[in-house]
Amino acid sequence: MLAELSEVRKAFDQALAAAGDDPRKLEEVRVRFAGRRSGVLRKLEEKLASLPREEKPAFGRGLNELKRYIETKLSEAATKAQASQVREEREDVTLPGRKPPLGALHPVTLVRRQVEEIFLRMGYSVADGPEVEDDWHNFEALNIPPDHPARDTQDTFYLPGGLLLRTHTSPVQIRTMERFKPPIRVIIPGRVYRRDSDLRHSPMFHQVEGLVVDKGISFAHLKATLEAFLHRLFDPSLKVRLRPSFFPFTEPSAEVDITCVMCRGGGCAVCSGSGWVEILGAGMVDPRVFRAVGIDPDQYTGFAFGLGLDRVAMLVYRIPDLRLLFSGDERLARQFPGGLAR
Amino acid sequence: MKALYSWIASHLRNPLAPAELAQRLTAVGLNVELREPWGRDEVWEVDVTTNRPDCLSHRGLAREAAAAEAGELKPLVVEVREGDTPVDALAKVAVEDPEGCPRYCARVIRGVRVGPSPPWLAERLTACGIRPINNVVDATNYVLFDLGHPLHAFDLAKLAGHEIRVRRAKPGERLVTLDGVERLLSPEDVVIADGEKPVALAGIMGGANSEITELTTAVLLESAYFDPVRVRRTRRRLGLDTEASRRFERGADRAMARMAVDAVAQLILELAGGELAKGILDTAPVLPTAKTIPLPLARLAAFAGCEIPEAFVRHLLERLEIPFTQGEGVLFCQVPSHRVDLELPEDLFEEVLRHWGYDRIPSVLPPQHGEPGTRQGSFPVTDRARDLAQALGLAEAVTYAFVPREVEEAFAASPLVAKGEPVVLENPLSARMAVMRRSLWSSLAEAATANLRRGAERVQLFEVGRVFFAQNGRVWEEERLAAILAGELGPWDGRRRVDFFDVKGLAEALAEGLGFSELTWESWGEPLAAGFGAVGRSSDTVVAVVGRLGERCSALFDAPRPLWGLEMVLDPGRSLPQPSFAELPRFPAVVADLTVRHPENLPYAQLVATVWQFAPPILERVEPVVRYRGEKVGPGEVKTTLRLTYRHPERSLTQEEVNAAHFALMEKLAHALGVTFT
Repeated sequence: MLAELSEVRKAFDQALAAAGDDPRKLEEVRVRFAGRRSGVLRKLEEKLASLPREEKPAFGRGLNELKRYIETKLSEAATKAQASQVREEREDVTLPGRKPPLGALHPVTLVRRQVEEIFLRMGYSVADGPEVEDDWHNFEALNIPPDHPARDTQDTFYLPGGLLLRTHTSPVQIRTMERFKPPIRVIIPGRVYRRDSDLRHSPMFHQVEGLVVDKGISFAHLKATLEAFLHRLFDPSLKVRLRPSFFPFTEPSAEVDITCVMCRGGGCAVCSGSGWVEILGAGMVDPRVFRAVGIDPDQYTGFAFGLGLDRVAMLVYRIPDLRLLFSGDERLARQFPGGLAR
Repeated sequence: MKALYSWIASHLRNPLAPAELAQRLTAVGLNVELREPWGRDEVWEVDVTTNRPDCLSHRGLAREAAAAEAGELKPLVVEVREGDTPVDALAKVAVEDPEGCPRYCARVIRGVRVGPSPPWLAERLTACGIRPINNVVDATNYVLFDLGHPLHAFDLAKLAGHEIRVRRAKPGERLVTLDGVERLLSPEDVVIADGEKPVALAGIMGGANSEITELTTAVLLESAYFDPVRVRRTRRRLGLDTEASRRFERGADRAMARMAVDAVAQLILELAGGELAKGILDTAPVLPTAKTIPLPLARLAAFAGCEIPEAFVRHLLERLEIPFTQGEGVLFCQVPSHRVDLELPEDLFEEVLRHWGYDRIPSVLPPQHGEPGTRQGSFPVTDRARDLAQALGLAEAVTYAFVPREVEEAFAASPLVAKGEPVVLENPLSARMAVMRRSLWSSLAEAATANLRRGAERVQLFEVGRVFFAQNGRVWEEERLAAILAGELGPWDGRRRVDFFDVKGLAEALAEGLGFSELTWESWGEPLAAGFGAVGRSSDTVVAVVGRLGERCSALFDAPRPLWGLEMVLDPGRSLPQPSFAELPRFPAVVADLTVRHPENLPYAQLVATVWQFAPPILERVEPVVRYRGEKVGPGEVKTTLRLTYRHPERSLTQEEVNAAHFALMEKLAHALGVTFT
């Protein structure tokens, strides 16, 4: 009789060893030996009941021992199996996550927004105007009459009906002054077009125009405004230099240089060794422009300035080639993920 | 212009050394861009702005240098040795086009010996980029570069009737200019003619038929003032940019005409000998009265933003050779004939400020009085669109607004393009930039293709920009957003090809973010691939087009993978959505799925519209869970599983009432659409 118990124990040991750490097989083993309805132990209990009285104590002890043994072993195996299960579910945390792509804005958009932010804080509004212009707004009202030599410097794309693609954002100065009375403080970013294409010129590019008209606006105001803007945009430590120049719509006019941001003034390829880079054009609004839009130049003065956003983007982000900006190369914008400004 | 340091310095007493002089000129607005050694001398490239033709000469640069305290300007003294023969016995001058030629001065020299110029002269001209020709021609060029006035020498013997007639060209008249090119003239041109024929293009270039040669013995010297606009028009029409035209079209010096002809005559006498006839043929010896401009000193200070001492102003005007008289707080300045740029007090302010030095003007921020700034125009909408596209994972591109005509036309069938004709450039840079785009796709698709060709596995590009239309002589522009997707999307362990629902989903998200009411969709063909294109309407207006670009486009771009596009209108007139708070639901929802078996040709939109038509008030939301087609349904059939969310705003729903509503809805759907639920 007791031999039967030791055989069950042997069979259990074999089955348990065969099940290993597999929880499904362990469960089968449990059901086979310790199952409530038809497990081997259950059958042995039934057998115990039917034994003659004198055989019961020995068999009972043996059975109880076997029961404890099987339960202990099953519980151990379950714990072990669970532990190994956890180990199997572990991730290789060094695999990359399922990263949704971060969108990215074009560097010209990024610097435009920086420029807008600076001027919005100084009380300027941001306006825009049409890219298809007429001769009046693009030239005549800006003191560039037909047959004026200054027209040569702005090679123009012409459209049917005497229209043209604006060669600068300055026509929006005119549109702004035609619509609003002073005081005026506005900047005007936008795309402009010139019939010119080489390493340093693109037939389409971006400018920002600035215009301030009020009583008592002086050259000193222009100077301080440009310095504040350029210091904020680039670096407060850089030097700003104004050189006399000529634009038909400002009098006097200035070209504005900053310390070369690449070499900090030491001289490099970007600044042709001069230590300075030209960054914008500016001046006091010419009274002829005020007359063209019906503002009394005896009452009001003003200043205007314009800068090329593409050039600013190239300087700020160290982009060596203008044409990259218009290539549509996705790798360009993706270098500025999440629309991160500098 | 090119200038020689020593030549400028020759007009100055106590000139500064080259480096300092260059620096002073640059500081007052005559940017010395380049300094190159020329023997022991220096050749400079000076950037002279178009308003200052008076500085296109060594004398003019010396005058500015003197005003910038780089030396003192020597007086200009020109003396000539005249012979006895009166000039009017040798030649005649008549101006028949006084508008085109307000002044014409001529002198005659007989008995010249034409030959090479002496080395000092030839070298100066060479330094300035002028090829020496012979002593007579070189003398005219020398005086041009010295004093700034263009001159011309004719071989008198070749002038029929020994006369000069300044007139409009006759229609069909031709002239071979000194560069050997035959020019067809127009009545707009001012020509110098003799008794028979044109002999020079006034203010631009002489004619070959009256050229100085080694055989020339008698010379007629021309020193005139031609109308800037007429010279410019002819120069532009003929594309003939010369040293003379550059000066005349910017404005030459009427007074200098007479002094220059004396100077050149004297120089020729010294270089080539001969006898100068007595007197000058001058058609306008009396100059127009000089204009007077007031320079109010108080306004100057307000304009500059700082006091500038009167003594400085007076001294400067003297140095600039601008005569003035004193008034009460004002200087009345007489505009000298060489300063064509001075018209208004502000022009004089400029003179003062640039010589005072921009660096000596203080920096003072303007006082703030005005409202806080705002973003206006298209920016609120276009920048919102950019932010949304960025948030959706796209990368921004900027592409040219002009495209090849055949590319532009490939998109003509898009409902967003068909609203007008393309705007054609009159003078495009090339055929690749011939017309303005009506769809951003026409340039963005090419950029996307270029990315694929570079080996990109996925393309997710967007652009915000304008498109252009023409109709009945009117031209207008619209703001757009476009995107192109291509290749494979998804994470590394779940990559899949882009499909229709990617671009449609983008359009839906953008439309939501831009505040369009929910779009209704309908399939659309060209320019999209049949079966894979759609238009989205908001209140009957097409606002979005999405789908796979069709055969015609693919063929044009030869894209290595299918291009999936989205284009949307961005109407700056629309106000952006102003979100407002709505009470959050306080009671739980009950969700029930409903699998509908229906014919394939019943669109989802109609199915859902019917659900809503019969929906109980407690139905909150309907969304698709899965669309099944395959063995378990019949041919031409699909199964669509909808997830219905029921909620009561004021209490919890019981399972029984949801079941009742749900089964009632199913019954109505079955009745209305003939669908089943197995």
